[in-house]
Amino acid sequence: MKKSILSLAVIALVIVTTAFSPIVGKLVSKSGHVNFFSHTAVEDISADNYKVVSTLTTETGDLIYSIPMQSFEFEKSMMQKHFNSNKFLDTKQFPKAKFKGKINNLSDIDFGADGSYTANVTGDLTIHGVSNSVTSDASITVNGGEVTVEVIMDITLADFKIAFEKGKPSTNIAKKVKATVITVYK
Amino acid sequence: MNKKIVKRGLIIIALGIVIGGGVFLYMFFQPHRDVQATKTDFQLEARQIVDEYLNDANTANDKYLQEEGDSKVIEVLGVVAEISEDFNNQKVVLLKARGEKAGVSCTFTAETNKNAVSLKGGDIVTIKGVIRSGAGYDEDMEMYEDVIMEKYDLVNKK
Repeated sequence: MKKSILSLAVIALVIVTTAFSPIVGKLVSKSGHVNFFSHTAVEDISADNYKVVSTLTTETGDLIYSIPMQSFEFEKSMMQKHFNSNKFLDTKQFPKAKFKGKINNLSDIDFGADGSYTANVTGDLTIHGVSNSVTSDASITVNGGEVTVEVIMDITLADFKIAFEKGKPSTNIAKKVKATVITVYK
Repeated sequence: MNKKIVKRGLIIIALGIVIGGGVFLYMFFQPHRDVQATKTDFQLEARQIVDEYLNDANTANDKYLQEEGDSKVIEVLGVVAEISEDFNNQKVVLLKARGEKAGVSCTFTAETNKNAVSLKGGDIVTIKGVIRSGAGYDEDMEMYEDVIMEKYDLVNKK
């Protein structure tokens, strides 16, 4: 009798823990878009990535991005090869970029009420194995239980030891690029 | 005699410019790799590649990722755990056996989406595409990340 009560308790515990994982309050997004945009007088270069994985903890404002670097797609395949090569992002060595940040003005955002909120995010961005602190403007939209976060980051490539010293890339790629990250949490 | 040499030299230089320019233009406008038309590098089960990554991510990256981004083309056999759609309206088929910590997340394309529509949970499939990144536990997100693969298409459904 005791044994069956115990096993029932174990089963109940398993059901409770599995039914509520992931932890309430931690939202997961596997539906997002990262765009890199570089503008120079010579040309505009843009790359898109739809494979960002992100978590957003609504109670603490923790915002994490994990971005597989080889998923960036460029219009020209040569640019994509350059981007991945060991002269630039070295994506074989550093396959993922990471952002570990926090929403600074969490009290302004009500995740329980539909609406659009202006936010500000600060965190450590790691690209190419180099970490830097970045602060960015963000907008958060809550709509019927769905949360969309858009963060626009200005990235100075030299800060991440991504150097274009010679040749075409040095004239055609901006020293500062704009990264726009949109993630949808359901 | 001298004139002949000069003439030949000029022809060689001109040819060099034309060939060099041609090669440059070819490389500049080179199309993207057609993953489906590329020979498969590895045929394996979803759990195999997940286990390889969870055991030793560096060795697995060395084996599967290529320096210029044209990483290994892989045919994966596995059980469909979930079908979803990403931000770009591409079908995402997650191959993951029950009890596994991580799976293989396979993204189809606008052209191949139609072949993923008929799939449902529990189907055993072989699908082909290119690997982008490996599986692993992420301490900040406090969760396992799947192996990420793209440019997928259905090869075989049991």
